[in-house]
Amino acid sequence: MALQKDNLWYKDAVIYQLHVRTFCDSNADGVGDFAGLTQRLDYLQDLGITAIWLLPFFPSPLRDDGYDIADYTSVHASYGSLEDFKAFLLAAHTRGMRIIIEMVLNHTSDQHPWFKEARSSRENPKRDWYVWSQTDLRYEGVPIIFVDTETSNWAWDPVSKSYYWHRFFSHQPDLNFDNPAVLEALWKIMCFWLDLGIDGFRFDAVPYLVEREGTPCENLPETHAIIRDLRKRLDLAYPGKMLLAEANNWPVNVRAYFGNGDEFHTAFHFPLMPRMFLSVKLEDRKPIIDIFDQTPEIPDNCQWCIFLRNHDELTLEMVTDIERDYMYDEYATDKTMRINRGIRRRLAPMMDNDRRRIELLNGLLMSMPGTPIVYYGDEIGMGDNIYLGDRNGVRTPMQWNGDVNAGFSTADPERLYSPVISNAVYGYQAINVESQIRSGHSILLWMKSLIKLRNSYQVFGRGSIQFLKPANHRVLAYVRQFGGETVLIVNNLSSSAQAVELDVRGFKGFIPIEMFGRNLFPRFGEVPYLLTLGPYQFYWFQLRRI
Amino acid sequence: MRQTILQGLEQAYGNLVHMIADFLPRFLVMLIIIVAGLLVAFLLKYILRIVLSVTKLDQVSEQAGASGILRAAHLPSMTALISRSIFWLTWIGFILLGLSVLGVASLQEQISRLFQFLPEVFVGILILIVGLMTANFLSRAALLAGVNAGHRSARIVSWSIRFLIWILTISMTLEELGVARQTVISAFSIIFGALMFGLAIAFGLGGQDLARKALEKYLGNTPQKEKDKEPQPL
Amino acid sequence: MAEDTILADDLIRQLISVGEVDLLVGISSQGNAIATSHTFRAIEQSFQQNFTRQRAVIVNVCRGDTEGSDASGAALGGSQENSAPLARSLRTVQRVTADFSVLPSPGLALRTVLTAADLLRARACAMVSPGTSDLTPDRIANLLTPVIRENFDFVAPLYSRHKFQGLLARNLLYPMSRALFCCGIRELYSDEWGFSGRLASACLSQDVWHEESIQTRPEAWMAISAISNDFRCCQAFLGQRLQTATGPGPDIVEVFRQTVGNLFWCMESRQSTWLDCRRSESVQTFGPEHELTSEQTDLDPHRIFEMFRNGVAELEPILSSILDPETHAEINSIVACKESSFRFRPDLWVRTLYDFAASYHHAVMNRDHLVQALVPLYRGMTYSFLTEHSDSSATEMEEASENLCAEFERQKPYLMEKWKAKIEVKS
Repeated sequence: MALQKDNLWYKDAVIYQLHVRTFCDSNADGVGDFAGLTQRLDYLQDLGITAIWLLPFFPSPLRDDGYDIADYTSVHASYGSLEDFKAFLLAAHTRGMRIIIEMVLNHTSDQHPWFKEARSSRENPKRDWYVWSQTDLRYEGVPIIFVDTETSNWAWDPVSKSYYWHRFFSHQPDLNFDNPAVLEALWKIMCFWLDLGIDGFRFDAVPYLVEREGTPCENLPETHAIIRDLRKRLDLAYPGKMLLAEANNWPVNVRAYFGNGDEFHTAFHFPLMPRMFLSVKLEDRKPIIDIFDQTPEIPDNCQWCIFLRNHDELTLEMVTDIERDYMYDEYATDKTMRINRGIRRRLAPMMDNDRRRIELLNGLLMSMPGTPIVYYGDEIGMGDNIYLGDRNGVRTPMQWNGDVNAGFSTADPERLYSPVISNAVYGYQAINVESQIRSGHSILLWMKSLIKLRNSYQVFGRGSIQFLKPANHRVLAYVRQFGGETVLIVNNLSSSAQAVELDVRGFKGFIPIEMFGRNLFPRFGEVPYLLTLGPYQFYWFQLRRI
Repeated sequence: MRQTILQGLEQAYGNLVHMIADFLPRFLVMLIIIVAGLLVAFLLKYILRIVLSVTKLDQVSEQAGASGILRAAHLPSMTALISRSIFWLTWIGFILLGLSVLGVASLQEQISRLFQFLPEVFVGILILIVGLMTANFLSRAALLAGVNAGHRSARIVSWSIRFLIWILTISMTLEELGVARQTVISAFSIIFGALMFGLAIAFGLGGQDLARKALEKYLGNTPQKEKDKEPQPL
Repeated sequence: MAEDTILADDLIRQLISVGEVDLLVGISSQGNAIATSHTFRAIEQSFQQNFTRQRAVIVNVCRGDTEGSDASGAALGGSQENSAPLARSLRTVQRVTADFSVLPSPGLALRTVLTAADLLRARACAMVSPGTSDLTPDRIANLLTPVIRENFDFVAPLYSRHKFQGLLARNLLYPMSRALFCCGIRELYSDEWGFSGRLASACLSQDVWHEESIQTRPEAWMAISAISNDFRCCQAFLGQRLQTATGPGPDIVEVFRQTVGNLFWCMESRQSTWLDCRRSESVQTFGPEHELTSEQTDLDPHRIFEMFRNGVAELEPILSSILDPETHAEINSIVACKESSFRFRPDLWVRTLYDFAASYHHAVMNRDHLVQALVPLYRGMTYSFLTEHSDSSATEMEEASENLCAEFERQKPYLMEKWKAKIEVKS
């Protein structure tokens, strides 16, 4: 199955996010690798995935799960070799799946040769590749991101006897983009991977590239200039490739990262994610409606990326204090679940393993405007381990079957990079791919049918959205339109059955066809259209005028 | 002659016996009817007392003010009055019925006329009762309203209302009974008309200010000052 | 037919859309669009500031073609979803409008609100008055908080008053209801109070909605129902009593009809409660127990005394059929006193009221007339109070109030005896 030639492929994609380390171990060393991942590509293809986003797999001290990169153009020995990666890439492309990798522009590991050189002396040519200061008073007032572990954005380097700037962990010094050599070096790195054939980059921590005194050192015009430069080069040399921005900010601020269609192709819609969880808990569509009211139009060749969970904590940066407190009280009653203004839990445990709620949230993910990203393991309802420290509780080994180590590895269990989940509810004996493939009504098979349905229609990835606002605030209803396709999505956010009357006069004469069962529903007319929904139930209707 | 006298006496005796023989059964029937009527009347009185006690007629009558009128007239309570009235009416009815059995022609005619007059008597009594109750109720209402509004002439107004309604009631009652109909109607019209005319002049010319104030109050334009002189109750 | 009109199809449809709620605030719009609009804003602000997580709804009972029903939609420019972004409330604040063809009476409005509370399983509810622009979010919170946080079932308001304001409540309604129903709620008659969903359901199930007393002043009946059925009652300090924006309010006779008449009716309908009740219990209060101010007023005590004296004289035959002969004689004797030395003793006042209550029960005359006949005597009591307490402090007035309450309780056996006695009827 060859890749479709379409420069806007990312609009129709269903992206699967995974870390190589977590997925499948082929050499019994307790760590997942590319060879093992390659063996599991059929599973992903069968699921309906069209793109895979790989978390950092580069050589690294692994003090920030690989985001502290020590070598940008190689593969960490634990995960295999560059050859393994090339084989994986080929196999993925053969199955029609594109590959997106990480590009950490903002910082490197303090073990990276660049930093080692830079710190060795103040006269070193690479000195200016990082941001140095004799005092820690520069850029005063800039917020600290990892509040649980860092007390300052400056760290003292005992080697060169000066401070260096780091927006993240202290072992991740920020690169200095005021030095053109930095950008050139990073572009070369990008070309290396593009030449191998990868299809896109996720730029980590984009807003923080540039620092200026008297600013919060985020989202500066200079940052956008850098992105435009990179995009221009990319379009010229590698058309059809995609750039994905990680900018945890309000939609109106993230909008700038699309530029005029000349910066990022895609960007995460961070604020939408917690509001989906909020809405389900509140049984009120208000949070979702509110955030969409604040979401500006984006250029036609751009796309939001939406998600439910990822490898980080469920961030509560982009919510109000009241909303944050509510989320903590409802979803993270145990303070161990909380980290860095977020919640480090997976989807299924947050939904109390309620199948209906899991389905509802995935239904929202697949039907709202944007490209959905599925975090590995959520398709089978994997659990988490909040006692593993940092955010490692949501990065446990993939559970393939009920055998030892959940089929992830044949190594001794003590050798695994992380223990498998083994409690009575989410343990690998209960939750695994094999059992769900064999069970006729598992979450996995349901997800597969959901993704398949989504992939059958371009309207989900490319269509507009118009909210219907019925009087019943527990129901979230919207219409997606693209070309000749019109779809009505109706979601019951509440734990009890609901009746709702929809004003569908604008679609008078259309016949709704329920998309999962392909059954006809009564035609839309002048009068409000009455629907009843069970707890957490949702409908996808294709509207046809026959 | 002795024979004739004896024959005459015999005949007279025979007639007397015949009369007595003819009258006695009717007399006995009359007595039976009267006694039976007495029993029925007692029974009705007893039943009515129970029924009226259960329906609390005395209380309703107290509320309406009728009991007050009865007490003032040294009459018994409404329940007693009605039950006794029914008792007497029933018994009188039976007595009249008994008397009619006697077959005395003139008596029968009078009884017949009496029965024809009875409905008018009832209606007349009813009009009187309703009228007196209405007079009582409305005059008391006017008195209370006037007193609570601080009007000095509340009692006069109350009595005037009571008097007017009495006049009207008595006129209607007499008219119903057919007593001097023309005289009553004329007299009522004259009195009532004169009263109204006098009130109109008194009120219209002499009471202009009062009229204006009353209208202002009715339309809600009473100066706030008046109401502020008394503390707000709630 | 009254059953049909309360739940019109449109109202049911609106309730379906709302679903279960935690908080419900009911208002009965009287056609004043500005005041109603302000009321909506105050309620929504209260929800946002004090109950951010609770599901809430506002139920507006009004006449269909008045400005009041328009105001409910126009208050915040239509749907709350069109309001400014990043609004503080987590949830949608729902609004429901119950339209009637005629201006609904207070009883009908309350019944509608209770029905909505019952159907929506509301936990905490409040009725507020839309007739003023002074309603604040804190007032509403003070009515709801004891219910939702402390599990109370009825929350009566407490006000800051001028010491000569509310004398009917101070000298009659409060002490009498306290003695009879053993519950020290000071303000039985007000336009704002809080209650629980439990109490709403219990009141709704009673078959009293056709009674005229309920139609005009249902709040006291609701409080007394709560007391009678062992629901938890409390009081919450709200500040100044709000003045209606639509004029000076009803006159004293109308007030008597609505309050004293209502109290007597409650005594009738709840005989078993107060006849068995022995000792009054104190009621928990949130905020200060009482607050009295004593600025200058424009009262005319002389006029009040004249109306009392004139009233007693003119109503002599009426009073004689209501009052006990001994009571009547004593009143006649104090009427004859000079104005400067006049005093309406508390024990006489209590006995008078109890005579009236018993006569009301025995229906010695039309009950509406009986209640009106009390007004001149109330004026006498008022005059006595004004002169006696012209220089009293708040503490002294409270002491006098407590003494009056004690007198009501002391003479309760007298009332019970008169209540149970049969009227002698001449036969």
